[in-house]
Amino acid sequence: MDILVILEDNRGSLHRMSKEAIAGAQKMGGSISALAIGSNADALAEELSGVDLVEVITVSHDLVSSYNADGYSEVVKQVIESESPQTIVIGHSYQTRDFMPRVSAKLDIPFIPDIISMDDGIVKQVLNAKLNASCSTSAEQMILSFQSAAFSDEDMASGSCTSRTFDSNLDSATVRAESEEPFQEAAGDVDLEAAELLVSIGRGIEKEENIQIAFDLAKALGAEVSASRPVVDSGWVEPFRQVGSSGQNVSPKLYFSLGISGAIQHVVGMKGSKNILAINKDPDAPIFEIADYAVVGDVLEIVPKLIEALHN
Amino acid sequence: MSPAHFSIIEKVILAGLTLVALGSFSYEVLRRVFIVQKGLGSFPFDRFGERLFRVFREVLLHEKVIRERPFPGLMHALVFWGFLVFGLVTIDHFSIGFYKPIMSESVHHAYSKIVIPFAVFVIFGILSLAYRRFINRPKALGKISPTSGLVAVFIVVLMVTYIYGETDLSPFVWKINWWIHSILILAFLFLIPRSKHLHLVLAPFNIFFRSFQQPDHTPVHIDLEGDEDELDTMLNDLTKMTKNQALDIFSCVECGRCTDVCPANRGGGILDPKYHFIMDLRDPVLEGRDVAVLDQINVDAGWECTTCQACTEVCPVGNHVEKSDEIRRLEVLVEGRVPQEYQKLFTNLQETGNTEGASSSPFADSFPVFTPDKDYVLWLGCFARHGLDPNFNKSVENFTKILDVAGMTYGVLADEQCSGDPANRLGDKLTYTMLREHNMEQLSETKKVVTLCPHCAVNLGKEYGKYGTINYTVEHHTQVIGRLIDEGKIKVQMGESGKVTYHDPCNLSRMLDIVDEPRKAIQAASSNFQEMEESGRDTLCCGAGGALWWKKETQGRTHLVRAEQVIESEADTVVTGCNFCYGMMKQGLSPMTPEGREDVVVKDVADMVADNLI
Amino acid sequence: MKIAVLVKQVPGSETALPILGNHSWIDEQQVSFVMNPPDNFAIEEALLIKERTGDGEVVIVSMGPARAQKVIREGLAKGADRGIHLEEEGQIQTDPLSIAKSFTSILKDENFDLVLTGLQSDDTGMGQTGVLIGEMLGMSTGTLAMETDVQDNTIRVKRELESGWFQWVRLPLPASISIQSGLNTPRYPSLRGIMGAKKKEIKVVSPSDHQTGSISQSIEKVFVPQASKQTEVIEGDADAAVMRIVEILKSDIKVL
Repeated sequence: MDILVILEDNRGSLHRMSKEAIAGAQKMGGSISALAIGSNADALAEELSGVDLVEVITVSHDLVSSYNADGYSEVVKQVIESESPQTIVIGHSYQTRDFMPRVSAKLDIPFIPDIISMDDGIVKQVLNAKLNASCSTSAEQMILSFQSAAFSDEDMASGSCTSRTFDSNLDSATVRAESEEPFQEAAGDVDLEAAELLVSIGRGIEKEENIQIAFDLAKALGAEVSASRPVVDSGWVEPFRQVGSSGQNVSPKLYFSLGISGAIQHVVGMKGSKNILAINKDPDAPIFEIADYAVVGDVLEIVPKLIEALHN
Repeated sequence: MSPAHFSIIEKVILAGLTLVALGSFSYEVLRRVFIVQKGLGSFPFDRFGERLFRVFREVLLHEKVIRERPFPGLMHALVFWGFLVFGLVTIDHFSIGFYKPIMSESVHHAYSKIVIPFAVFVIFGILSLAYRRFINRPKALGKISPTSGLVAVFIVVLMVTYIYGETDLSPFVWKINWWIHSILILAFLFLIPRSKHLHLVLAPFNIFFRSFQQPDHTPVHIDLEGDEDELDTMLNDLTKMTKNQALDIFSCVECGRCTDVCPANRGGGILDPKYHFIMDLRDPVLEGRDVAVLDQINVDAGWECTTCQACTEVCPVGNHVEKSDEIRRLEVLVEGRVPQEYQKLFTNLQETGNTEGASSSPFADSFPVFTPDKDYVLWLGCFARHGLDPNFNKSVENFTKILDVAGMTYGVLADEQCSGDPANRLGDKLTYTMLREHNMEQLSETKKVVTLCPHCAVNLGKEYGKYGTINYTVEHHTQVIGRLIDEGKIKVQMGESGKVTYHDPCNLSRMLDIVDEPRKAIQAASSNFQEMEESGRDTLCCGAGGALWWKKETQGRTHLVRAEQVIESEADTVVTGCNFCYGMMKQGLSPMTPEGREDVVVKDVADMVADNLI
Repeated sequence: MKIAVLVKQVPGSETALPILGNHSWIDEQQVSFVMNPPDNFAIEEALLIKERTGDGEVVIVSMGPARAQKVIREGLAKGADRGIHLEEEGQIQTDPLSIAKSFTSILKDENFDLVLTGLQSDDTGMGQTGVLIGEMLGMSTGTLAMETDVQDNTIRVKRELESGWFQWVRLPLPASISIQSGLNTPRYPSLRGIMGAKKKEIKVVSPSDHQTGSISQSIEKVFVPQASKQTEVIEGDADAAVMRIVEILKSDIKVL
């Protein structure tokens, strides 16, 4: 086969990044198969029955019924040895970081991670995303992982595919980890720097009573709330939410600013954001110079309507 | 009043009591003196006349006591002057008991005409103060102090017994009154050294020995290539107070003026200079009988200090209150416990010689390079070089415009590194040493330096001098502007509209004593200048001092307190003479401005003058 | 308890990054270098584990040119016991497998109980070294540790999963663990530490003694990302704006 896409189980259904990986593989072209591991392998295969793939290989050995690095890396190794794909493709998730390098070492296959584009060579970001690098490999096989949203799950071409089981040869001595059940933690002081999505409040929110609409919007988006210094100074939000030169330095996937003018002390703390969507009444607000999307309007009018639209 | 008769037994009792009281007094005083003597360094006797004059003003005239708290201060002055007048009376009083009176009857009578009114003043004074302390209970004075109550009672009774003793009394009543008076005085002697009332003895000395420079922290000499034992000794000595600091601990009157003026405290922080910098150390010093107690200072409080020296400035007994330098350097050099944002700051300074970790400064490159034929080295400072507030860069350009008009030449150093103020104030004396040594070399050919940043000026001009001789003079740009106006080299017209006020930067007014020149410059450009509250050397720090500009988690609202005062002054424009103050004002004013009001315009002195040059 | 902490010296985050004429990498002569910030957390965690278990040795290991010794010294100044410097000449290695093989050849004889790494390096950002070495040395592996707990001959690790989920995993020693940033508060080297570090041993391993010569992937060229910052301006009434925003969130930024 040309490409083997390794799938990830996100609590019973296919992880969005796996769909993006398939879309990426399809763009690369060739014969593509996928690999699903774990107790939900069949369900994942079922999800892909209408997608243009050769087949989904499923492995549901007891020792890999739930994720563990030892078992998963061994299974993937065996599948690769058996199927000899030229390229192995996977989404660059936390789980991928945890076990894919093991596969790379087991088989001495180079792993190029966190790729943002395949249009003009294999491109990844380097030096804190200040520069891009074009990578290459001289090996016969390679492992590629794609950064979140490098490809779109909506671009997965439809078609049909079958599934078949693969009997992996796993020894209980291989799996050394004792894993407990995953759990969620009560929200404490949020680490803004780790947040993927931020709704950020500026003075355009005008009054303390209006802060709640920003929190509501954040909730609807699954985002965290941050703010510019004047809002923090006025005591309307907690200090740890401050973004800027004397606050946090953030670079989320989406920085959704509400009524922030874009003073330099604020901008230095968020200009690394991947997408900046700014709402401000003033068409000359400096924030619009660095925004990807500039909405000239009243935050107090737009946000409530937006929240409603998101709930529908 | 015929001379009284004291029996032998009475004299023996009197002698006994006096000896016990004097003995106890001396013991407690000597105990403390002994501890003070263990302190590092030596007491200064230089500028003797100036020191004496300072004692005259602050002790005799009670200048600082009255200044920050006028009414209580005046009341205290009454009590104090009464005490002075009573000196002769007390000697005479005891002399009567032992032998015979010193003053003749006529002298005694004449003198009492002076003393009795003073006794009344004292009663009035002490009762007002007691009322304030026990009925009003101002927060600064803290918990109810039984000793203070006792002292108030003592003083009142002493005055009353004196006055009563001057009236016509039967010998028996007179004798009883005399003994009451004597026993109270001896009891007082017992009480004085064991309480804050020791300031009666120590304050004049403490004020005499106080440094002329503030802040006045011991320099920390670090030689990485040097002897390891020397380094070990130096690190161990970091916990030891100097003689002056030790004397401060025993002189403190617990009045709380230092806490009243502290910007960190007023901004809602935990820092309470009275306790954290002075009182907390009293027990450790007495119990350990040693001065190695600086590591007992509350660490969190220590990090909140803006090093503005308001506490030191206001202290009526001459304490150098602020001790953030001492605790911070212990945390950094000995413990390796540094808040994360400061670790990044130190790394930036070490790796790139500036606070921002930048590899170049386009702004600095826009100026001519200094050559020895030029008048001034224009010292930019990290704030301007790396655009910590890009608006301020215009102010620097305005200053060079003024210099150009005046025909003065200047250039920037090719390899200017951070003056080291943040490292110095945060306790990283090692990084400070690196920067200082580098800059001293860069300045070796320089005669005159001018800078817009008071923090740079303080370090280049004063702090560096603690480590070695400096061959250049440092001026703040307002001094240069002031002089250019005086010499007629620039002409300024009163073109400024609106009400103008001035915020004194703490580094400029208190540390460099530059108060008049900025005002001269402003008033050349504006006819509508009005002082803010807490101005001049009493200025309230903007909150950025002590390298707090770089502190990420702002627990309090220190930086907003001064902004509030600017708003309350109803000025249209606030002028300042420091880039940090400029930046803080710009950030702090907008959230504080009430709706409907125009934002207050922030200008540097250079802007005000350049905008109005003829 | 023998702990190896792998650290890397990388360009500072504020420094300008001039690209070499042949575009193969940046011109390192013009750049200032620092300890890879995530590695600070790994060093701190190693020191904390040593302090908790009461005894043990923390060894700082780094691959790089001569200047890399600076970051090894930093680790020693913070309290590590000794260092190992895998020397590099010329341009830095960028192939994770090759780098891991170099480290493995030196680490294997030392029999470390724990190998700790930062989550990834701020220069190439491959994020694999720790896990590769773990596999090559036959160790159990774990990544993105938010908490560690060494007990007997095992280590319990609180793995960070996506979207606010966590999972505790118990692994037998020896183990190679990558440390997530923010799990502890890194200490600053005290003056005594800095002085003492000068006397601690740094074993230098010359390139020929650790480089395997096999390169399987490389960076061909680096370039400035196309600043496609074309701002789309959305005007009009609130309803129209809201519709467009929802579309952007869904299809362009893909966060819905």
